Amino acid sequence: MNTTFLIHTFWLSISGIPLTILITGAALLLGLPLGFGLAWIKIRKIKVLYPLAVAYTSLIRATPMVLLILLFYSTLPSFLNVIINKHFHLGIKVFDINPVIYAIIVFALIAIANLSEVFRSAILTIDPGQKEAALMVGLSPTQIYRRIIIPQALVSAIPNIGNLTLNILKGTSLAFMMAVPEITAVAKTAASYTYNYTEAYIDIFVIYFILGAILQVIFKFLERYLGRHKLKRTA
Amino acid sequence: MPPFSFEFFLSVFGEILPYLPITLLIIILSIIFSSLLGSFLAAGGISRSLFWRTVTQSYVFVLRSTPPIVLLFLVFYGFPKLLLLFLNINVNGWQKSVFVVIALSLLFASNLAEVFKAAYLTVNTGQREAALMAGLSEWQAFYRITLPQTIVVALPNFANTVAALIKDAALAYVIGLVDMMGAGNNLIARNFGHHSLETYLALAVVYWVIFIIVEQGTKYLEKYLSKSRAVDTTQSGVTA
Repeated sequence: MNTTFLIHTFWLSISGIPLTILITGAALLLGLPLGFGLAWIKIRKIKVLYPLAVAYTSLIRATPMVLLILLFYSTLPSFLNVIINKHFHLGIKVFDINPVIYAIIVFALIAIANLSEVFRSAILTIDPGQKEAALMVGLSPTQIYRRIIIPQALVSAIPNIGNLTLNILKGTSLAFMMAVPEITAVAKTAASYTYNYTEAYIDIFVIYFILGAILQVIFKFLERYLGRHKLKRTA
Repeated sequence: MPPFSFEFFLSVFGEILPYLPITLLIIILSIIFSSLLGSFLAAGGISRSLFWRTVTQSYVFVLRSTPPIVLLFLVFYGFPKLLLLFLNINVNGWQKSVFVVIALSLLFASNLAEVFKAAYLTVNTGQREAALMAGLSEWQAFYRITLPQTIVVALPNFANTVAALIKDAALAYVIGLVDMMGAGNNLIARNFGHHSLETYLALAVVYWVIFIIVEQGTKYLEKYLSKSRAVDTTQSGVTA
């Protein structure tokens, strides 16, 4: 065990944290509205879009993250190149686009599929009697969603959103395959000079543990904060 | 990028499907070992001793935020060193699949522990007490009364965890194991990086089929198990 290398690489790998957080955060921010839209399509069973939404969700949820990353990273740039430059002659250098963009796209696609399922099940758990009661009182459908259903659905969705965020955070450790210099990539590169892989992975393990612990605490707090009315009622 | 060739896409299945048994073997072994370890952890999580509760809680807390690839490499590089250092066992000749199974079992034991614990706690404690009253031993009460009910409750979440395990098992190729993913990557390498779209799509289709089988199988099993449970409740309703 090489302790100096362990400590040195730990401080080096910390420089990869902002990128990890950026990818996770951007994927989640893109995923929340789009996932909600997809959930809406699935609940309302909108024609034509419904089977597409179901197939998309199933395919993304069934495919391993590595496979999605490899699939998109090996084909998306060339595909975009064909469309943008051969058909529209825009002259954008697709191959010079920062791989971080591709990473965000891939993780957003994963987040959308999973979040749509989270939202769908959360909205369906709300008793239809609530909606009927709200209609009786004279609220409009948008008001019902905004004031009655979404606040309650969000409370039951928060633990699942937390799990998904944690999974995406863990998934970003695969972004090194797209040449994104995040935590894993930095530590691996440092290890490749001296072959101290065990030490490098211990560093990555510790950093992810810290990030994961912070995330778990944040979501516990959110859960308690959003569920504060619910707690009072059951108590 | 060469245009998408449907013929090549079909030929990929012939190349990767011979490696499906390896992938399935790793998945099944990992499910068995992680279930065993997960049951022990769940038992620790509901035990009265503060020590065991703390141990299992910290295990689950730490492993929850560990990326699978990190644990896989940690086990692959660190575990042999650890064994050599403390027990003087040389494991350099071991197959790579062993490390994959160890890593996946350690990782998913933490998820399964939570699933089992939550399911066990939903089963009413009155059930156990009633069974003890009726003269069953502690083990009989668990084995015949509490466990069957726990299994029914745990099934959906267990299936979700298994689906996640199947997906993470695809990472095994990064340590050089030639499973389905490894075969696919070798195929791309032999074609000098071409046809990656066809190869990865074919792999995605295979994983999709596995996922659908697991999903539908669980649905069927759930219906089957809850059917017998529904009969039970109506019976008890009648007698009550």
